[in-house]
Amino acid sequence: MENVVKNYRLFHEKATLIENILGKSKKEKFAALKGISLEIRKGEKVGIIGSNGSGKTTLLKIIAGITTLNSGKLLTEGKIVSLIDLSAGFHPELTGEENIYINALLAGMDRSEMKSKIKEIIKYADIGKFIDAPLYTYSSGMKLRLGFAIAVAANPDIIILDEEVSAGDEDFQRKSMKKIDEFVREGKTLLVVSHWMDFLKKHCERIIWLDKGKMVADGGMRILNRYQSGGKNSG
Amino acid sequence: MFWLNNKQKKWWDFVLAMTEKEIKSRYKMAVFGFLWIFLNPLLQMLVLGLIFQFFVPIKTINYFEFLFPGLLIWNFFSYTITKNTPMYINERALIQKAKFPRESIVLSIVFSNLFHLLISFLMFMLWTLLVREGVDLTRWLVLPIAVGWLTVLTSGLSLLFSSLNVKWRDINFGVQAIMPLWFYATPVVYTLDLLPKWIERIIYLNPMTAILGLFRWSIFGMAISWEPIVISLVMTLIIFVTGVVVFKKESPFFDDWI
Repeated sequence: MENVVKNYRLFHEKATLIENILGKSKKEKFAALKGISLEIRKGEKVGIIGSNGSGKTTLLKIIAGITTLNSGKLLTEGKIVSLIDLSAGFHPELTGEENIYINALLAGMDRSEMKSKIKEIIKYADIGKFIDAPLYTYSSGMKLRLGFAIAVAANPDIIILDEEVSAGDEDFQRKSMKKIDEFVREGKTLLVVSHWMDFLKKHCERIIWLDKGKMVADGGMRILNRYQSGGKNSG
Repeated sequence: MFWLNNKQKKWWDFVLAMTEKEIKSRYKMAVFGFLWIFLNPLLQMLVLGLIFQFFVPIKTINYFEFLFPGLLIWNFFSYTITKNTPMYINERALIQKAKFPRESIVLSIVFSNLFHLLISFLMFMLWTLLVREGVDLTRWLVLPIAVGWLTVLTSGLSLLFSSLNVKWRDINFGVQAIMPLWFYATPVVYTLDLLPKWIERIIYLNPMTAILGLFRWSIFGMAISWEPIVISLVMTLIIFVTGVVVFKKESPFFDDWI
């Protein structure tokens, strides 16, 4: 596989909200991202920061392919797994094992890959005999473990992390951090949205600062300091 | 399926897995489980049959027997479309969080209901074989075609309504209002020869008319006029293509509206 360069180019605006109120045709356009262009290369570890509503999640959703651009261009290479919500595809009435089946396909595995990895997933999730129980009997921590185990088994080239990495108990946190470090060492691309500065400091080497749909800064770790002091000044 | 390439195979795997999930989860907490797929049309047959046998004169076969396969097919159609219309809203959690072929949600409902239809239909056919005399088995060869047609029609309408319902939630109310009317615009409880001739052309605009006609022709040997079937066929194509086009246009932006 030649997977050397990854290009992301986003231009212009993306209208996300056009409300049509009962024939009054009152239209309101809101641009979540206003002309952002960036290129992320394979193996880069990028943290995305910005205040609430600055377009971080929209950017990740576009990269993950969950939503589509209104204009501009997006190019991605390799398998993307988004950890925006680990338990998105879970069905409460089905057992853990049945849920692995559907979520593994959702994470981009094919059937044979899933079959060869199912033992590994169950072992990594470490939820004991609950694996045969319906999902509504699970605690939220167990769901998180199961979801993370599936996402990790998918062996993605690009990993997208939202805030959720900071959830779960200490044991799980240690385990998931270890796995993310492992991915980083393997040269996988990492994209993180977080307000958890310590995490960004530890895992990222490039920071993109978004504000109101525009890119404020793109560069090294020093941006983090600027962002933090700027945040304090403005209150 | 060896003739598919990797991407298509993956797509089918996903749609089938979603269908399996749908089938497995449907009757999980129900004591009667799978019995419901038979119980439901059976009850309908008893109630509707009790009333309508006095209005609809069918000489060749028992009215209850005439009613049953029609109800199975109609229930598949109406239940699938009613369930599918608000489906993208109901599954918003999944759509906002993951990338996957969006049509699989709608298709999994179609296929899981088709699975249920086939089970109850097979049981009905078995009963027909045991009870009825002079069954023309060669005509049964048409049945797979009729089932295929029904699936295409149902998928097309499901895609159309569910895609539009993402932006205009009125569609859901509209479908709920139309379905009971559509039931009477389809010859489920009656036969076409009870209607005046001029209405025949119009009623074939409803593709369900032709589909039910095909089923009854092959199971009961009831007469069917072949020319107006073309009208139903053209209507089905128009509906299916519209459904697919609207879905393709809308589906990349589902996340923005839910």
